[in-house]
Amino acid sequence: MRLAVQFEDFFRVERLPHVFCPGCGIGVVMNCFFRAFVNSGLNLKDTVFTGGIGCSSRIPMYINGDMLHTTHGRAIPFATGLKLANPKLKVVIFAGDGDIGAIGGNHLINGCRRNVDLTVICINNNTYGMTGGQMSTTTPHGYLSTTSPDGNLEYPFDLSKLAAAAGANYVARWTVRHVHELVKSMEKALGKKGFAFVEVVSTCPTGFGRRNKMGDPVQQLEWLKSVSVRKEKMQDEEMDQLDLNMQGLISVGEFVDRDRPSLSDLLSGTKAGVRP
Amino acid sequence: MKPVINPKYCKGCNICLYVCPKGCYSKSNDLSELGYYVPRVSSPEKCFNHGRTGKMLCELCALSCPDQAIIWIKEE
Amino acid sequence: MPDPKPGIEFMQGNDACTEGALAAGLKFFAGYPITPSTEITERLAFRLPEKGGVFLQMEDELACISAIVGASWAGVKAMTTTSGPGFSLMQEGIGYAAMTETPVVIVNVMRGGPSTGQPTMATQADVMQAKWGSHGDYQIIALAPFSVQESYDLTVEAFNLAEKYRVPTMLLSDAEIAHMRGRIEIPKRIDLVERKELCSDRRGRAYDIPDELVPPFTTFGHGHRAFVTGMTHNPQGNIAPEDEKVQEELVLRLNEKILKNQKDISRYEITNPDAKKFVISYGTSALAAKEIAVENKEIGLLRLKTIWPLPEEQILDIAQRARSILVVEMNMGQLVREIQRLACSVGCRSVRFMSKLGGEAPRKREILPVLSRMEG
Repeated sequence: MRLAVQFEDFFRVERLPHVFCPGCGIGVVMNCFFRAFVNSGLNLKDTVFTGGIGCSSRIPMYINGDMLHTTHGRAIPFATGLKLANPKLKVVIFAGDGDIGAIGGNHLINGCRRNVDLTVICINNNTYGMTGGQMSTTTPHGYLSTTSPDGNLEYPFDLSKLAAAAGANYVARWTVRHVHELVKSMEKALGKKGFAFVEVVSTCPTGFGRRNKMGDPVQQLEWLKSVSVRKEKMQDEEMDQLDLNMQGLISVGEFVDRDRPSLSDLLSGTKAGVRP
Repeated sequence: MKPVINPKYCKGCNICLYVCPKGCYSKSNDLSELGYYVPRVSSPEKCFNHGRTGKMLCELCALSCPDQAIIWIKEE
Repeated sequence: MPDPKPGIEFMQGNDACTEGALAAGLKFFAGYPITPSTEITERLAFRLPEKGGVFLQMEDELACISAIVGASWAGVKAMTTTSGPGFSLMQEGIGYAAMTETPVVIVNVMRGGPSTGQPTMATQADVMQAKWGSHGDYQIIALAPFSVQESYDLTVEAFNLAEKYRVPTMLLSDAEIAHMRGRIEIPKRIDLVERKELCSDRRGRAYDIPDELVPPFTTFGHGHRAFVTGMTHNPQGNIAPEDEKVQEELVLRLNEKILKNQKDISRYEITNPDAKKFVISYGTSALAAKEIAVENKEIGLLRLKTIWPLPEEQILDIAQRARSILVVEMNMGQLVREIQRLACSVGCRSVRFMSKLGGEAPRKREILPVLSRMEG
């Protein structure tokens, strides 16, 4: 199939196959993002890929563009500096739930509030995968991890709701079972002005799955399929991700699609805006 | 077009078997160089894209493969 | 507000620092309000947009240092300013800037510590932190102004050194210098240094540093496919965290890049070079010492303008010629340890230390009695 950007041009093929585990949802996000990027008609030369620390943040290392692998949780302020210093650049951030939702929480909400033109792909696998499967701020209540060996006493964030409340222009959540919808949402996010946040609930067979009776990636995919409900069909608000346990549900869909003024636009409307 | 699995990338997770709506894939005992059991495309004729060129009707396997191991080639 | 015209002005230290940064080509600033540096942030909020730059107030100091590193990779000169508590937060980002060799300028207007301490009083207790604050083996450049004039001049120097050596450069001011008002001469022209980019011509200014120690810069958006990471990386730009040889070579180069170029980076001022009694000091501590040296020909002063890398050659030279040395610092003894170590290595054991705590600059009448009891 002839795509506008070929696989060998988009990915750093000398670094493939990637280091992610068999069945890791990050690979699925890579496929969908590649497709969305091609569909959006963007130019690799003008796009910068950034990430924090963690498995998800390693995606930029496999893409053939300028890439900035930053410190844990801080990809959003790095990207803010990049974007505002050179508004011609398209800046995409890949980060995980621990990176964005824990140590980077303050940067997430302020990034949404500031509404700079950024695209954030948050891969939520409910754990800290790279360090071996510790609980994160999105580990569901009662689930096991290496730092919650008797079941997580805490309750998880709903990162999409957080981003929506903080002011992001576009917020969507899908799982790695919803590949077509994911491509469409990522494409929309890439073309959106302001802060676009796409949360992808993903599989981590090694860190999360096998500790919670879902060691086979297919098992975790089946679980994701069974607990995700389209947001339009969501009957009971309270059964949303906050209470996600064996009886709880994740709502998927586009939560927010608005056009609050982006900081980039506001800045260029004044005397400011760096001339590249 | 028919799907082909690249044994240099495949890590044997068998997700393709699970997502394919037509059951084109099956497990195999073929051990690849990387040390994984690479699935077999056992029924390519069942695939939505069988005998077609141009726009793909279904790409669930290629999109869902975490290792970018599935590529499409023209059937002879 | 128009640019200050060349000639004599009367300004506050913080304002001089701001104007120096603007004259050096500052185009991106991310700051967080913290006494006693807030004047810089506030002045840049209206001056920087006037000059076509971007001003941002971030949510915390970690975001500040991250944003300026990001902006630097987009190819612009970037700066942030803070004081002790914020400086401690920025260490993570400073280590990242050192590892990725990103040119940025960080102004630390030191205030009494530890912790919240004395927001409006001076100190020099952050000088070791400036060098060792982040984890790992790395080098930074740190400059210490002692007047309003130097708050301008050394800020320009800081930008030039950062660009030349691709290293985070600090300006270690303090509450006293920041808030004092004084005479400043705005120069007619200043020479600026720009980072050298990969594959572009050097615009006629060849640097006299060995090329292989400072790699050319791969500005984002110019098609370099830059691979920038805080992980251990090889010269091809790939990560190699488990390669012993790569790690050793990288760490050695990051450090030697600065240490081998000490001569070029060291800035200092010597008064009464033939004196037998010497004072070694810097910043606010040197104010009174300078007056003493000017009034007493038999007392010499080595005033360090570059704190890191320490001007070792000059210190060793004085340690060999003078009969006694007095180090004056507003802390419990930080640079004095380095000076004593250096002096010892050439057989000089008479390095005395005067510690001034409390937040006020050491006064002439406090230093003179100590000097009179010394040999020389």
